[in-house]
Amino acid sequence: MILVMLRVMALGLLRDRAGLVLVFVLPPLVFIVFASVFAAGASGRLDIGAGVVDQINSSDSRRLVDSLQRRLGGRLTRSPDVAALEDAIKSGRADAGLVLHGDLSTTPTPVTVLIHPGRKSAGEILVAQVNAAAGEDLAELMFRRDVARLGPILALTPDQVGRVTGVSIGVAPPPFVAERILPGGDPLLIYYAGAVSILFLMFTAMQGAMTLIDERAAGLRLRLGLSSGGIAPLLGGRMLWLIGLGVVQAFVLFVVAAVIYGVPLLTNLAAWAGTAVCAAAASAGIALALAAACNTRDQAQPVSTFVFLILAAVGGSMAPRFLMPEALRTLGWLTPHAWVIEAYQAVLWRGLVNRTVLEAWAVLASFAGVGFLAALCLEGRRRL
Amino acid sequence: MAAEQTEAVLHLAKATRRYGNRAALDQVDLELEAGEVYALIGRNGAGKSTLAKAAIGALALDEGSVRVLGADPSSDRQVRRDVGIAPQEIALYPHLTVAENLDVFAALAGVSRTERAAAVARALDETVCTERADERLDRLSGGWRRRANLAAAIVHRPRLLVLDEPTEGLDAETRLILRGLIDGLRADRAAILLISHNIEDVAVLADRLGIMEAGRLIVEGRPAELMAEAFGGRTELVVRLSEASPAVEAILAARGLAPSDRGLCWRGIVADAFTQAGEIEMVLLWNGVELREVAVHHPGLDALIGWATGSPERFGEA
Repeated sequence: MILVMLRVMALGLLRDRAGLVLVFVLPPLVFIVFASVFAAGASGRLDIGAGVVDQINSSDSRRLVDSLQRRLGGRLTRSPDVAALEDAIKSGRADAGLVLHGDLSTTPTPVTVLIHPGRKSAGEILVAQVNAAAGEDLAELMFRRDVARLGPILALTPDQVGRVTGVSIGVAPPPFVAERILPGGDPLLIYYAGAVSILFLMFTAMQGAMTLIDERAAGLRLRLGLSSGGIAPLLGGRMLWLIGLGVVQAFVLFVVAAVIYGVPLLTNLAAWAGTAVCAAAASAGIALALAAACNTRDQAQPVSTFVFLILAAVGGSMAPRFLMPEALRTLGWLTPHAWVIEAYQAVLWRGLVNRTVLEAWAVLASFAGVGFLAALCLEGRRRL
Repeated sequence: MAAEQTEAVLHLAKATRRYGNRAALDQVDLELEAGEVYALIGRNGAGKSTLAKAAIGALALDEGSVRVLGADPSSDRQVRRDVGIAPQEIALYPHLTVAENLDVFAALAGVSRTERAAAVARALDETVCTERADERLDRLSGGWRRRANLAAAIVHRPRLLVLDEPTEGLDAETRLILRGLIDGLRADRAAILLISHNIEDVAVLADRLGIMEAGRLIVEGRPAELMAEAFGGRTELVVRLSEASPAVEAILAARGLAPSDRGLCWRGIVADAFTQAGEIEMVLLWNGVELREVAVHHPGLDALIGWATGSPERFGEA
């Protein structure tokens, strides 16, 4: 009977082109959108656009503008005056602005960065880039500034100052800080692969589970009720189908994540599979229980959307959990989403099957078991 | 052979099912033998579908018992394989072809993999569905879907078959095919519980007829005998007026006709209907009331139900 139900469900999906797109194409697309946003920050690429007003127009200021233009990937645009630049920032055409208003070698603070209150991080990125450009690409200028600042302190004579600033130092000084990126995948990409995966697993499972309601409405339950096995194999077959479908859906999404963003899927494939099975089972259990509790599709559709979106928001599928307040983070542990994300991060980022992963698998299996039993109970008590 | 002829395939004893204070089934006794077609009629909500569900073990009884081939179908999985049902709705998977649907229900009924193809082919042949076997159900017309619905009920050769309004919405040709099929199943010793509102189906197919009202089986008998007992040689007279007229109401009522449709339609079971029809035409003419239609026909199941339930005001019984 279970095999018969698996076949019915499989044919249902295979003959539903829109369903196939929703199950296998939409989740990777949504993941790519999330990943494009967060991978840029993680990789160090700067995708901010800035405006500049060069009121000095000296050789130094032009060199600084050229250097910034390279660093921002050509996303630095000139504005005629400060008012125009402020307008560009307010209207969103520029994320931040730069005004060169003093002689770069002598004025104590010759540059001002204009920052929109809603995009402070863009301003901070621009400040950092200005400092980096000045230190690395305009090393002589910074040296002249240091000499001008230290001359009075060291009681240098004008002749000494002239000789010192006349020396060509040639190359930028060695950096004060060195960077070393540790091996391993980007945790935020793994986070969002897991987060998007469980979000869509829930909706996919619900679509499959709602065939229970269709069967009731069409009188099929009466006929199915005559089958020799009763209701348990009918629900069991459906549960197995939803688990299998969920694992394939998650696999497609993670393969996209691996191919495009280098998420290390193959490093711990067995543990990934364990997590995927548990996640799909939890989704299937919850979806079957909801479908069994609802009388009609019209009832099940909004109820499931409400439940799944709340679970997704609290569980971290929409915004990273580490950005949430502590209370919300604690509340998140009541959702399968938080456990799924945690488990994927542990097995793919940290490469571990540790206690956290085992706990996550146990919790997800509990969601699956309780959901399935609830569905059995509710469906069994229904009037045919 | 004699023992087989009296074998009770379905046996309901004091079957009772309540929903709150309302009894959907009330102390129903029913016995259905192999090779017998039992038609069940009654108004909407009379308890016909509830009885059908109880008969196949899909409904738990509050009191009484149901036995199919001597076993309780609600708990005995084996005996459920001997039961088939064609619900009033098209209870099939719309995304599967007709043949795939039959294969699914044959498998669920326990037909072995080796026998399934033959079982499906036979059911398709008997319902004259073979030419549409490979078409998806959701691409078929209503008549073909109903044939497929019936084919799914018989694909596993059940010994008890429940048919709920099987000819509803069918054309004459399909209706004949279906009647032939039911005759064939009867000849194969299947017991058939037929829920129908179609007087021809009941008259042609049913060996016995039961009328339900408020969850109770109030009248049972052979269709022809019941019709004779209820109406004798009387027929149904229907008079339709162009406009309602208080002037003729008392005259029509005195002749045993009851009004409906805001006084525009009058009908009743009367003796010597043709004579009465002529007299009524004269009376209406005399009173200046325009007659749209006057018709005489055999009483239908509604009239029989009205006779059985004692509500002539609704069904026009004189």
